[in-house]
Amino acid sequence: MAVLRYAYYPGCASQEITKEANETTRKVAAALAVELHDMPGANCCGAGLLTDCDYELSLALNARILAQAEQMGMDIMTICSTCLMVMSAANRDLKNDRKLLDRINGILGEAGLEYRGTVRVRQLLWVLVEDYGLKGLKKAVARPLDWLKVAPFYGCHSLRPSSALGFDDPEMPHSLEDTIKALGAEAVAYAGKTRCCGFQVDLVAPETAVGMTASRLIDAKAKGAACVVTPCPFCHINLDNYQGMAEKKVGRKIDLPVFHLAQLVGLAMGMKPEELGLSRHMVSPERIVR
Amino acid sequence: MKVRFRIRRFDPLHQAEPYWQAYSVEVKEGMTVLEALLKISEDDDPTLSFRRSCRSAICGSCAMTINGFPRLACSTQVLPQYRKKGEMTVEPLSNHQVIKDLAVDMTPFWNRMEKVSPYLAPKEEPKDGWVIRKEDAAAIDSAQKCIMCGSCNAVCDSLEADPNFIGPAASVKAWRLVGDVREGMKKKRLERLSEGHGVWDCVRCVHCTEYCPKDVRPLEAIERLRAKAIEKKVVDNHGAKHTLALVDSVKRVGRLDEAAMTFKTLGFLRSLGMIPLGLKMEMHGKLPHLIIFPAIDGIKEVRKIYSAVERRKKKKE
Repeated sequence: MAVLRYAYYPGCASQEITKEANETTRKVAAALAVELHDMPGANCCGAGLLTDCDYELSLALNARILAQAEQMGMDIMTICSTCLMVMSAANRDLKNDRKLLDRINGILGEAGLEYRGTVRVRQLLWVLVEDYGLKGLKKAVARPLDWLKVAPFYGCHSLRPSSALGFDDPEMPHSLEDTIKALGAEAVAYAGKTRCCGFQVDLVAPETAVGMTASRLIDAKAKGAACVVTPCPFCHINLDNYQGMAEKKVGRKIDLPVFHLAQLVGLAMGMKPEELGLSRHMVSPERIVR
Repeated sequence: MKVRFRIRRFDPLHQAEPYWQAYSVEVKEGMTVLEALLKISEDDDPTLSFRRSCRSAICGSCAMTINGFPRLACSTQVLPQYRKKGEMTVEPLSNHQVIKDLAVDMTPFWNRMEKVSPYLAPKEEPKDGWVIRKEDAAAIDSAQKCIMCGSCNAVCDSLEADPNFIGPAASVKAWRLVGDVREGMKKKRLERLSEGHGVWDCVRCVHCTEYCPKDVRPLEAIERLRAKAIEKKVVDNHGAKHTLALVDSVKRVGRLDEAAMTFKTLGFLRSLGMIPLGLKMEMHGKLPHLIIFPAIDGIKEVRKIYSAVERRKKKKE
């Protein structure tokens, strides 16, 4: 197998609040001999909020990230679904519209950059399933998680809009389930797995946000999940950090630990819980990992 | 081939709960869900209720939940759905009250529409008449394609969590008006849309854009309304403040400065309310940089892009 190399874009959240996702991804990638090359000086994708203010600015700033990966000669791998969606949507628009690309390149030119439209944007989940392959991942499993019932939580931005993403079927996704099974665990079926966690309105409409967080967690728990796994740090922030507030809103204990995808992979590969940054979680997964 | 339809039925006046009823239908290649429903009601069960009119995806009457997601029965073929999912289920639209079986009460849909005053309030016409440029028309083109079927409201995650949310359908109508060069009440409309339960409450779940049968892309309409509100300085609300805080954060440090964004969005007093969560986060080592947030290496490039975009905008004006 040719060596897998990516321009690595962890996203803002995983450089601060969800650092554990970034650190574990690096360890897992190293153990799987997947090369992650840092993108020094890469800017924030705007998390969709830039589009809410200025579409052109959002395109130009995303084109800067894409141009940097192009210079490195690699596709981008991110570990954030929102970064994935925002960069992919910008990439779609730029690739589909030559005039638009030229106009944005006029702006990039002032910073000495150019984007030709050759980069693909991927996330860890897709890299594991498609590029590395689940057969290979299975071989890397040292400690099958056969005692664990895991609720896959896709959230929104790894699936929709399918016009920009198109990796998994947004109605019947299975990449996360397939990965969970490859790690030896059982994937729990529940309706909320492709719904919103509420993150985008945490500060703007907290009641809506926390209500959504509670619904998803209660749904997963009712179907027998012992934990949740998500490919997105924003989903993790709501499902884990805000779980206490969700409990307050619904007036009952939920107590459902939430893993970043890389943590679940690392666990199955035999990494010790302390290597995975689990102590940084608000809802402790300690009791289910030992 | 014979296909087993499972249809969600309910008569709230006479029944306590919805239930599933199965029908077997002989389906030919190309047959639509609406044709199958008509066949059921003609040959099998005249009590099955559903709405339909034009049969050509123009009237918007027959939106229903087909295999889990909202679709127009008249433009959805049975066999591709059946082959893909291995079953055929038909339910009323979600986020709506059932009148009977597949027919839902659209009153809340129209009430939301009313809230955005769905008619043009034109400025005075210039002496030499209106000139509508190609790009002016293009800006509201997709919004004009809306057939008001209710599919977007039915899959909207925000609307499910908050029934007072304005919803994607009315937002599309609002953009169709705010985006019209002839409209005279833009700012007033944007002020109302920026209130609580307005366009800033959208969680960006992207369901509306994914399931609109006419490619209206309601999320794009919401994004444009937000951008227009900021442009017109309608910014005294948490949504606009949050967005402006991010735009400022990326310009200042190239990244998302979470603490500053929280502070700028909520203001001093309401930020105090975040202290308990902040303390808990600190205990788990999760608190982001609070005071000085280091800038990314490429910050000068980022700022050049900001000023290049800014200059182009000014030139255009």
